[in-house]
Amino acid sequence: MRRRRKGIYSRVKDKTMPGLQTSEPGPSTESTSHALLGFLQSQSQNTLTRLYQRPSSCLSVFRLLGPLERQLVMNLLWMDSAIPASMMSAWITREGRKPYEGSLSILSKLHILPNPTAKLALNLTFKTSLRHAITGGGTSGSFGVPADRDSKHPSPSIEALDTYALERWETILHYMVSSGSGRYPNRPSQGVLLLLQRSGLMTSVQGSALQITSSGFQFLLHPPHAQLWELLLQYLHMAEERQMDLVEVLSFLFMLSTMELGRDYSVEHLSQTQTAMLEDLRDYGIIWQRRASSRRFSPTRLATTLTSSAPPLPTAGGAASNTQGQGFIVLETNYRIYAYTDNPLQIAVLNLFITMKSRFPNLVVGAITRESVKKALANGITADQIISYLTTHAHPQMRKNKPLLPVTVQDQVRLWELEKNRVKSQEGYLYTAFASQADYEYVLNYAKQLDVVLWESAAKRCFFGSIEGHANIRGFIERRTAGNV
Amino acid sequence: MDKASHLSIILDLSPTQWHLFAQPSPTNAHPLSLSSFLSQLFAFLNAHIACKDENTLTVYGAFPGKSILLYSSVNITASSSETEAPADANTYRPFKILDSTIATSISQQLDELSEMNEEAPVSLVSALTKSLCYINRNSNSSSESLSKTKTKLEELGVEAEAMLDPRVLIISVSPDQSAAYISMMNSIFSAQKLKVTIDVCKLYGPDSVFLQQAAHLTGGSYIYLERPDALLQYLTMSFLPPPSLRTLISVPTQDKIDFRAACFCHKQIVDIGFVCSVCLSIFCKPVPVCSTCRTKFPMKTLQRLNAMKPPTLPSNNLSNTANTPSPAASPAPSHRRTPSMTGTGTAGANSLPRSSTIGRGATTGTNGSAPPRNGDGV
Repeated sequence: MRRRRKGIYSRVKDKTMPGLQTSEPGPSTESTSHALLGFLQSQSQNTLTRLYQRPSSCLSVFRLLGPLERQLVMNLLWMDSAIPASMMSAWITREGRKPYEGSLSILSKLHILPNPTAKLALNLTFKTSLRHAITGGGTSGSFGVPADRDSKHPSPSIEALDTYALERWETILHYMVSSGSGRYPNRPSQGVLLLLQRSGLMTSVQGSALQITSSGFQFLLHPPHAQLWELLLQYLHMAEERQMDLVEVLSFLFMLSTMELGRDYSVEHLSQTQTAMLEDLRDYGIIWQRRASSRRFSPTRLATTLTSSAPPLPTAGGAASNTQGQGFIVLETNYRIYAYTDNPLQIAVLNLFITMKSRFPNLVVGAITRESVKKALANGITADQIISYLTTHAHPQMRKNKPLLPVTVQDQVRLWELEKNRVKSQEGYLYTAFASQADYEYVLNYAKQLDVVLWESAAKRCFFGSIEGHANIRGFIERRTAGNV
Repeated sequence: MDKASHLSIILDLSPTQWHLFAQPSPTNAHPLSLSSFLSQLFAFLNAHIACKDENTLTVYGAFPGKSILLYSSVNITASSSETEAPADANTYRPFKILDSTIATSISQQLDELSEMNEEAPVSLVSALTKSLCYINRNSNSSSESLSKTKTKLEELGVEAEAMLDPRVLIISVSPDQSAAYISMMNSIFSAQKLKVTIDVCKLYGPDSVFLQQAAHLTGGSYIYLERPDALLQYLTMSFLPPPSLRTLISVPTQDKIDFRAACFCHKQIVDIGFVCSVCLSIFCKPVPVCSTCRTKFPMKTLQRLNAMKPPTLPSNNLSNTANTPSPAASPAPSHRRTPSMTGTGTAGANSLPRSSTIGRGATTGTNGSAPPRNGDGV
């Protein structure tokens, strides 16, 4: 009797390992241009011109530009007439040619430099507004109207604002990270949940509770500044659908970014759209209000650092000395990790890719293991993201090492990622228990002619054929058995 | 590449020179008053801060006889600024604080100057030294990651590594003070060591020999403004790009540099100097004993050098090109035992030096390699 078994045959691909990269990526691999610039470039000229009417928006857009673009804008800012393109390019060195061309095209896409081929002159609206921003004056009130001093309710201190922003922000992240485990700490507001869902960071399967997606896991490992902009960009996309005036939304964000930390601003001069935005921004921890109906608001550090690269969250750990920039992770060559933190969010994020061993009041000890990394990889996190997270949050003591992270660990994490790609599964049937050697060879030959044999073993008298060839082989065997009988 | 940069500005605020500069005269075709200068300067300073939120700025004022820190973007705390500048919805607050702080402290300092002090030389070098000390302190504290200063700075929300890419811009209106030669050169060498670029913007008065050398030796640019009314455009195009960007955008550099030095004995800028072969001190005439290192020179050498000296030597004769004799003229091993005063001179006052290249090269070599010793022993 011949038995046929359906099964999965796994074959180890004999792939040579590609050369492992031992060079560590920089702590913050800064993208060449800001995420928002791409969004702005996709806007119409009309929208941008309306946006440029406000000096604070111009200042913020200017700050988002790269260094060379900024210099070009500055060179042209005080010119009253257009200058020939050749005159400007005379200032550019030979190495600067390529970046210069790129800068010109970015500026023209943003409609800051309307016609960069012939004569160079800034967009008139942009020029007027940026001049106003730099020299002061004008009547636009675009840097926020400060509220009168209120003796009854003094404005909150900077520490209070920081605590508030941090708490709000970590609530969002903590909600995301713990959604997979089934424990729900504090639910962020409905608006935040909607935003998370729309941005594809979390998803809800058939009306069940929200679950974090693989892009959500990746999001958690990004630096806070990038996370903030990622959410705000999504907010901008949603604003378009909600029929909100994009210019109003953008200029409000830019206004926030030029405001001063620890100061009250009045809501009276805000437009209707912007007043509606207050609620959303309060949920993200970008602004603080005493009551929802309060006539004043204070921007938090998340807001005032929108257009700078200063850390938007001052203290990510509970202890004041443990700052975001400082880092708290010590990684040893034996894959052990010591994380000096008591922050539940940081522990939860670490838990994504390490196996926890023990916990102390201010210290978590764990290890990077094959299982923990494979779990992370299965969640869609890449080896590079793990390595860059460890690099960014490395303890100052680690910074003395060169390279920063032990090479063994870096290599192993990458190898584990490659391992994931090493095994390839193919569905098929195993043909076994042939009555005689001749029988076996006869069928095998037929299968080989069809080119469906994946594996064979003459000693065990069995072979594995792919699923496509099964009908033929089965028919062949049946015909042969019928013929023999 | 997109890093924060630090800019230290040193303002030459000599009341006499600014008064002259503001008067229209045949020699002064483009008068510029202090107030219009300041308004253009503020636009430039704001532009520097506008470029990046983390950019830092310090402004030093060089007044007659003293130098004052007028503004520092690190030390401004919320509490101190609260009282000074009332909030205004139309202006970005950091700009407003910057402008008002500088304007008030300048007018305060100028009012304090007494009649007598106004004639004192401007303490430019003192301001330069202070700004270099400031840069040094801040770059050191950022490299020591665990130092107390850093944690303190971070609590204030200040980026601790803000001092990357520092540079100094000197805006000068006064002529050179040859008395400050040694201290000036010493600060230039400190700047070289700290990798600080010194830019010089000369608004008024004759070309400054020392500042030309300062810009040349630190890789900065020296610009003599022909049209002071276009000051802001000059400042923006030449001095706004941080050094890291100057590989892409070329900024003007001077085509000829005056390498003359000042003698250690009379503090005068000399065309022909005599260099001590032991300690490289510069003298305007042959001396029997070096005032710095007390080396005695043989009588014979002195006589020979005196004979070579041009008969009448006006110390600031411009027809003579810079020609400081080379210390290398005497063989190195003999330095200790038989010190000799070396010197090459020109025969006639109007003829070019015979070995002008050697003379030039030697002076540059002196500047580049060996800092002048403190020659105050005279």
